[in-house]
Amino acid sequence: MSEPLHYVIIGTGAAGTEAALHLRQRDADCRITMVTAGRLLFIRRYELPKVFDGVEDWRELLVYPPEFYDEHGITVRRNSWVTNVDPERRVLGMRHKEEVSYDRLLVASGGGGYIPAGLSEYRHLLQRFATFGDAIRMRQSLPEGGRVIMLGADMTGLDLARKLTAAGFRLTVVATEQLFWPHEVSPRKRTRFVKALVAMGIEVIQGRAVAGIEATNSGGPARRVVMDKGDLRGDVVIPFFGLMPTLDFMVGAGVDIERGLLVNPQLATTDKNIWAAGDVCQIWSPEENHYRFYYGWKNVKMMGRIAALNMTGDNEAVDTVKEEDLFINANGEIDSPFWEYD
Amino acid sequence: MSRKRKPVTDIQIAICGSAGDGTIAAGDILKRAMARAGYKVIAFDLYPAEIRGFGKCIARTRITANQVYSMKQKSDVLISLDDSHAIPHVDEVCDYGAIIYEDNPMSKVEEGGHISGHAAPAHIPYGIPFREMSERATGSARSRNMVAVGYIAGLYGMPQKIFHEIVTAKFKGKAAVVTTGNIAAFDAGYEAGAATIRLDFGVLESRSRRRGKADLVMMNGNAATVRGCLDAGIETFFGYPITPATSIMEILAAEMPKTGGRLVQTEDEISAVAAAIGAGYTGARSATATSGPGLALMTEMLGLGTIAEVPSVIFVSQRGGPSTGMPTKTEQSDLNLAVFGVAGDGQRIVLAPTNVEGCYKCAGKAFEMAEQYQTPVIVLLDLYLSNRYEAVAFPEKNPFVRKCSKGVSRRGTGSPYSRYAITDDWVSPRAVPGTEGCQHAITGLEHDVFGRPNDQAHVHEMMSRKRHEKLEAAINHPDITISKRFGDRGKVDVGLLGWGSTFGEILEAMFVAQKEGIKCAAMKVVMLSPFPKPAVVPYLDDCAEVLVPELNYEGQFADLVTSATGRPVNRLNRVPGTPMRVDEILAEIRRLADGAKQMAAE
Amino acid sequence: MTDIKKPVYLEEKLEEVTQSGRLEYRSKSLPTWCPGCGYFSIVEGMTAALNRLQVQPKDTVVVTGIGCASRFPFFVNTYGFHTLHGRALPVATGIKVANEKLTVIAVGGDGDAFAIGGAHIPHAARRNVDMTYVLFVIVIYGLTKGQTSPTSVLGFKTGTSPYENQDAPLNPLMMLLSYGAGWVGQAYAGHPHHLADMIHQAIAHRGFSYLHVLSPCVTFDKTTKTYKNLGVMVRDLPEDHDDSDQMAAMGEAARTEAPAMGVFYQKDRPTLGDGLQEIVKRARGTRTAGKRRAARQAAE
Repeated sequence: MSEPLHYVIIGTGAAGTEAALHLRQRDADCRITMVTAGRLLFIRRYELPKVFDGVEDWRELLVYPPEFYDEHGITVRRNSWVTNVDPERRVLGMRHKEEVSYDRLLVASGGGGYIPAGLSEYRHLLQRFATFGDAIRMRQSLPEGGRVIMLGADMTGLDLARKLTAAGFRLTVVATEQLFWPHEVSPRKRTRFVKALVAMGIEVIQGRAVAGIEATNSGGPARRVVMDKGDLRGDVVIPFFGLMPTLDFMVGAGVDIERGLLVNPQLATTDKNIWAAGDVCQIWSPEENHYRFYYGWKNVKMMGRIAALNMTGDNEAVDTVKEEDLFINANGEIDSPFWEYD
Repeated sequence: MSRKRKPVTDIQIAICGSAGDGTIAAGDILKRAMARAGYKVIAFDLYPAEIRGFGKCIARTRITANQVYSMKQKSDVLISLDDSHAIPHVDEVCDYGAIIYEDNPMSKVEEGGHISGHAAPAHIPYGIPFREMSERATGSARSRNMVAVGYIAGLYGMPQKIFHEIVTAKFKGKAAVVTTGNIAAFDAGYEAGAATIRLDFGVLESRSRRRGKADLVMMNGNAATVRGCLDAGIETFFGYPITPATSIMEILAAEMPKTGGRLVQTEDEISAVAAAIGAGYTGARSATATSGPGLALMTEMLGLGTIAEVPSVIFVSQRGGPSTGMPTKTEQSDLNLAVFGVAGDGQRIVLAPTNVEGCYKCAGKAFEMAEQYQTPVIVLLDLYLSNRYEAVAFPEKNPFVRKCSKGVSRRGTGSPYSRYAITDDWVSPRAVPGTEGCQHAITGLEHDVFGRPNDQAHVHEMMSRKRHEKLEAAINHPDITISKRFGDRGKVDVGLLGWGSTFGEILEAMFVAQKEGIKCAAMKVVMLSPFPKPAVVPYLDDCAEVLVPELNYEGQFADLVTSATGRPVNRLNRVPGTPMRVDEILAEIRRLADGAKQMAAE
Repeated sequence: MTDIKKPVYLEEKLEEVTQSGRLEYRSKSLPTWCPGCGYFSIVEGMTAALNRLQVQPKDTVVVTGIGCASRFPFFVNTYGFHTLHGRALPVATGIKVANEKLTVIAVGGDGDAFAIGGAHIPHAARRNVDMTYVLFVIVIYGLTKGQTSPTSVLGFKTGTSPYENQDAPLNPLMMLLSYGAGWVGQAYAGHPHHLADMIHQAIAHRGFSYLHVLSPCVTFDKTTKTYKNLGVMVRDLPEDHDDSDQMAAMGEAARTEAPAMGVFYQKDRPTLGDGLQEIVKRARGTRTAGKRRAARQAAE
């Protein structure tokens, strides 16, 4: 009997976990290792705002309980950082100086919140909202009825914004070109959608630029956002400028990268042992004749499944035709297939 | 999983590393600080058999709000100072417990050699660059252990100032830079820990620091034994190093001379007990300490102590056996040797404390008993008890009686002094060398009342009776718990009976069983010889089923109970080299309780 | 018996013994030794020595192991402890450590000492326990009725060596000298006056003294170390023997064919008791220094 194959998946989100599940279904004997920088198992990130409803226990947010990983024979290396990939030797270099070898690698490391260059010097004053710890910190720095200043306001941000508003916090959105990202919205529609946001109780500031951010100790809200004209005060300033694929460790791995990791519709990279899925990859769209991203929970899960099938010998292609649009639902609120979770 | 947790503090922290990593020192600071902060603390350190560098050390500390009696089977936190040692212990971390480890080791790690790859899905990993943090704080990687302690303290919001006090006290007498360096390393860890959102679920309620009350002292069984010796006025000690008893001798070596006491490291265990008996013969309070193999060597001399009726105290800390066995593993398999190990009919007193405070009590009382009943007294500890730390409150007034010897009334009564005179309580007035007019020789030969060799039938009959009868009074020796019942009163479905260190686990299991609605009690037997029948028999009568959990293969205590009382008992025997598992005791209790219920129904 | 030059009359002897005070040291038990045994002269020598040194019987403890010689405590009116085979020295050490005021004398035979008890002798010697070890060497096990001992000569025929002993004998004197014993001497039971004097010197020595007493076993050894043979073999140490010269003492001890009588070696050095006292001093010194430091810190 030959050695069982070792599948390594970088990323434990929707794409990676879906892939792991399908890998196990397709190959009962293989080794599956998932790697993530986070301390926790896969959680429903879109449910993080539940902490504002008083949820203290992150286990309520788990997509699968720990036993799921045990039962499926999936090793999850958490709090672990991949620093480089050597496709020749088929090893991952880890920050903690261990090398992890793989037979087939799936890069499903997703994306991190993009911070425009102009704001990077204020990073330490910006709240993040990617992990359970971020959510707890945000709750700690947000007094009851406090004000959140959201910069950019992509769809992930707006999802949070509507939940925060519902939870009684006040929201100010400083709209930029990333408003509604990844939806591309025509100016006409944009006006309509902004109106809907305002109707939802969200203050929207348009056409003004952020000049800087300051911490204030003078009592009152802890942050001042300095604008080109007039300042904004809020307890928390949180950026949502769309996602930036998390790929630094792939630089030097010899695979093609544009903004994301470039893959064909079968999700294969230019290395025969490496696939990619989820927010990290840019898929060749034969119809549109260019590489494009597909976001949203459902898309990402679908990619995880297809990658797993193809890594185990199939030749499935991603459906790259489907269009997803922002719309206004029956309640007069903004809605999007982007927010459709299971 | 239970979503509603009562916030009751009960955290067990295991620190695992090489002997050279400062593992035990880190655990020491943790447990002392938490005890001073007002928590109940119980701790158990495991040392390597090897001397230095390679051996695995684990320091486990259980921090609770309410008194507990044993270590938990699972730890809530595992701190790895050496992954190769800690990886096999990942399994002992409870679900949703934390694993804290070096995230930036000095050199490359073999694939599979890093603990992060071994954490179970239900564990919460905290990778921390201990080494870099130590280097930044102190200029050296040596204080990694302090960074780790600081991190856990910060993560749990433990009282930083108290840790500073403990660190300062620990390094008192060393160069000031040692203290400041260690505190700097601790603080670096503390800051990082405090800034981390904690994702594991251990609960640490804040406590008000104990004030006014007698200070709780963190002490292990061996140290408490020493304190008992000192309070009882030990004058001489003779010993030969052997794990896990050695530290008794080491602490005595430092402490005894301060009060004029004399300690000699002898050439072997035979000489140790021989000298202790020689010193006992002169009237001095004397003792030795050893483990099973040493006790095996001592048995002939203990027979001499019995027949010559010379007081001596022998501390025996058991380890895995037979023979050299498992020197650094705990076991309770020297009961037979302690109680029965002698040529001929040679009963002696055997005490087995069940906790650290009991070590203190039994140690002191052993000297009283040895003197009062003119006999060797064995105090039976084990590795777990010797090395287990508990927060102990010592009595303000010395509880031990300094003179218990039945002396000769006055010299020269005209008739020759009869050393072995038959009296009402079977104890003969004893004259020691230096007493005018009472010169006599004592011997390992059977002898008449004057001590003269005599092997006539009536003499041997009488003297055998004398030597056994006189010990019976020890069952009622004042101010010591010989046996004690816990749990439900009256008739119970399951009655636990235990001895030695395992009684902590027995109590824990009993409390859980009671909560489950099982009618349950537990009795500890501290005096193994003579066996306290008057207390044990009525207890056995109250129990539908009796369960005797002990850390030996043969069921030595169970045999003792059955032979002394004629009652059958259920046995739970384990020899893992580690403390008994509470869940295994519990499973047996449940099984027996079900059986008892069925019996009652039929 | 060669040093008894003139006839001895029983009445005169009784008178002398009663007057001397030696009887104070004798118990009323009758010795169980065989008639003619050299041990009688050792008891005699011991009581005479103690009497001369004016050590009170109540302050004397005789400690023995097992063997013919070990019955000694029953025949003297001091305190006595008849212990286990081979264990006289450790018990005696315990007694001395616990009560420095006692005069401790260990008595044994060569099997008790150098077979089963061999491990204890170097340590009593190196620690310099202030006691005297009187060894009765009859080169055979007497109490068990005649087997070879560690000092039996090659070719010796006994119950356990029916085809003759093949094991070379030990040289106890050389052993004791190399162990660092502070007083090493040899006497012969057939020369009771010299023996008494040697016992006197050994007890008087402050520290561990070892007296090797040659004695025949009149019952079980009719061939090798008899009075007749020993009487011919023994000699005095050379006039110019320097008893501070350890190597010279070793040289004399090596001559087993002609055992020399007298003090081979003696040297004063701190005893175990001195060492223990020093430890107490240091322990207390450290403590008071610590207290002083604490007091000073408190004052600051």
